Amino acid sequence: MLRDEIERVLLRVQKPAQYIGGEMGSIQKDKSEIDLRFAFCFPDTYEVGMSHLGMKILYGLLNTRENFWCERCFAPWTDMEAEMRQNHIPLYALESLDPLTDFDILGFTLQYELSFTNILNMLDLAGIPVLAKDRHDLKNLVVAGGPCACNPEPLAPFIDLFLLGEGEELNMEVCDLYLACKQAGESKQQFLQKACRIQGVYVPSFYQVHYHQDGTVKEVEPLNGAPEVVSKRIVKDLDRAYFPDTFVVPFTDIVHDRAMTEVLRGCIRGCRFCQAGFIYRPFREKSPEVIDRQAKCLCDSTGYDEVSLTSLSTSDLSTIEPLLEKLLSWSERDHVSLSLPSLRVDNFSEELVEKISSVRKSSLTFAPEAGTQRLRNVINKNVSQQEIDHTCRVAFEGGYTNIKLYFMIGLPTETEEDVCGIVDTAQGVVNLYYQNPDRPKGRSVSVSVSAACFVPKPFTPFQFEPQATMDELREKQQLMRQHLRTKKVRISSHDAKTSFIEGVFARGDRRLGQALLLAWQRGCKMDGWSEYFDFDKWVQAIADCGLDPAFYANRRRPYDEVLPWDHLYFGVDKAFLIRENKKAHADTATPHCRLQCSGCGANKLLGGPCFGTAENC
Amino acid sequence: MEPLKTVRLWFEKTGRAKYISHLDLVRCVTRALKRSGLPVWYTQGFNPHIYLTFALPLSLGQESCCEIMQFRLVEEVEMQEVARRLDVALPEELRVRTAYDASEGRDFTKIAAARYQLRLQGDKKPLALASALQKFVEQSAIITSKKTKKGIKEVDIRPMLLDAEVRAEKEACAATLRCAAGTQKNLNPALLLDAFCTQTGCQLSVQRIFRDQLYDTEGALFR
Repeated sequence: MLRDEIERVLLRVQKPAQYIGGEMGSIQKDKSEIDLRFAFCFPDTYEVGMSHLGMKILYGLLNTRENFWCERCFAPWTDMEAEMRQNHIPLYALESLDPLTDFDILGFTLQYELSFTNILNMLDLAGIPVLAKDRHDLKNLVVAGGPCACNPEPLAPFIDLFLLGEGEELNMEVCDLYLACKQAGESKQQFLQKACRIQGVYVPSFYQVHYHQDGTVKEVEPLNGAPEVVSKRIVKDLDRAYFPDTFVVPFTDIVHDRAMTEVLRGCIRGCRFCQAGFIYRPFREKSPEVIDRQAKCLCDSTGYDEVSLTSLSTSDLSTIEPLLEKLLSWSERDHVSLSLPSLRVDNFSEELVEKISSVRKSSLTFAPEAGTQRLRNVINKNVSQQEIDHTCRVAFEGGYTNIKLYFMIGLPTETEEDVCGIVDTAQGVVNLYYQNPDRPKGRSVSVSVSAACFVPKPFTPFQFEPQATMDELREKQQLMRQHLRTKKVRISSHDAKTSFIEGVFARGDRRLGQALLLAWQRGCKMDGWSEYFDFDKWVQAIADCGLDPAFYANRRRPYDEVLPWDHLYFGVDKAFLIRENKKAHADTATPHCRLQCSGCGANKLLGGPCFGTAENC
Repeated sequence: MEPLKTVRLWFEKTGRAKYISHLDLVRCVTRALKRSGLPVWYTQGFNPHIYLTFALPLSLGQESCCEIMQFRLVEEVEMQEVARRLDVALPEELRVRTAYDASEGRDFTKIAAARYQLRLQGDKKPLALASALQKFVEQSAIITSKKTKKGIKEVDIRPMLLDAEVRAEKEACAATLRCAAGTQKNLNPALLLDAFCTQTGCQLSVQRIFRDQLYDTEGALFR
């Protein structure tokens, strides 16, 4: 235990409470009774990582096993890292305050491409070799899962095995196998050999990538009898899946400091830019009774005064209205407010506004994503101008005066008209406000437009598309500002450089691992934080590896190209993605899954149709 | 619902809990009150919240066995039961000592002083450190700069140091300080130690600052 060493430096750093554990809900166990120690590592700060629901689920689940102990570990902020390095304090986990080297398995979650360097930095801070080939023992096995594991190739040199898809069953199976191998005294290699037979386990060292002369992938050759295609795992029945009855409640303020209940997984919408909308398929719902019970239980056990119903699109929950009835039957009495992120513009009813706004009225967020109907058809964001107008009217009548609108620029086929359409849409919302005769007197309306730079991602219909270049993105940003005529609309844009590096790694191949290593060795870390993002270092590191970032970011891939992630299967067939890509270029939308099945293939993971009867399929 | 009575609750803040800032403590106690299921009173305004007050916010890094908070109840609950239920709901190193009806005690504004136990190490041996500190506190004035809302101000903190007993122990220098405390005059022992370092050039490593007594305007123990 490193407690004394940690305490010696703790008062010299910001927010020391995040580095010492002891929060309500954190799990203590007697080390002498533990057979397997798992460090759940989040490659970003405590405030970001502690907001993450997946970590809470897997933390709780692993700890249901008496002989397993799962602990939490986050990337220390740079002030704490400096103290740790100077005082020779290795990276430790928060429950036992033991160094990570004491752990059997280190599990990283991959939420964002620009947190990859933090993984290397955390391993290094723990005194563990960053390259998988330099770690010879079974102990300190480094595994990784999460959304970015759908193209894990740039991380292949560093990670022993990837966990694809949902972790509830998979993590337990891998831990059980690990324990059996550990107790039998087997080697890391022997363990990996067995692990690669578990569905969802991808051992990158068992795959040899061959390239064409032009740098594209020729073939991915499985070795050691590893499966040719690794399929992700899902949990079929969400009602019966594990869900924690309590959370670790932090002392310090974190990004999302509230109870969270997951209401559904997957998404019926099929927005073509959205990776989550495809890689989390098929669509599965929890029943309202289960959601209600879990939400109540969490609020009681944590003392949180806010519970959020999370999912990719909460208003698509078929039982949303009865669920809200149930929740409101106790939430107001218990002084708990409900928050529903990810509401969609098109099915936002007056009743719903009334229900959620009974507690607190502040700002409302919508994501039309594109500024014209044509482009919304291209990206399959099936929201019409009338629906946007309707929603805003309902919101204004409900007393809201702040509206946030999310858009993207750099979408495939985008023209100047589409970019100006973003500003026009925002202006339209302002005009609507002043058409409302009941608007609060003397209160102005404020519309914030957030314009992100589109980054094409694997397993989406846009995985073949070139990302807009940095110059193009900057021109579009400028065009928006020139077109803006009102002070009631505020535009904020994302940094094109950050999006470019994100784009490179999102669709990168295994060769980029070298660039990642080099960039980290030259000081890149916390790249998701603008104050630490060093674009020039990244470009130099990629160039020094003989690679061209535009090859990854700005190149159109032909449909028949072998993509670096084609040997991984996330439920959606490549043929479906190609069909959707062609429809995008024909400005044609695809109806959502409840209206009509478009045959993405994800129902194969369920072993039956996604909705009720097979007629839909 | 109307508040029925105000609870005065004494608690300890020790060990790792010393890293919880005051703002974070407020949030932490609010959640503990919710978990406890006690019938606490909420403010009735636009944004209802648990009405919670603290007597003397403790600085980050300091420990105490005499922290006081107050909140209101809307139903009758035995005070022992209040103490027990909140104790169960609080993190390990925040411990409830006692609870009673606030009307039985004096107003927070009657708090006048607090006692602190200090344990210090530094670049000097305990004996030398103790004698330097002794000499320092015996001065007739200790002028130091203090950050206020209006900017940095020169103040004499010596009048706020009511009593000091310094002794050398085997591995550290120990001191018991009685400092003015409360809304009118308040001396944080950390400020005194900062002044000591600046003026004497000593390097200090503060092992512990522990608040263990509160006194009222008459010099009696505050209750």
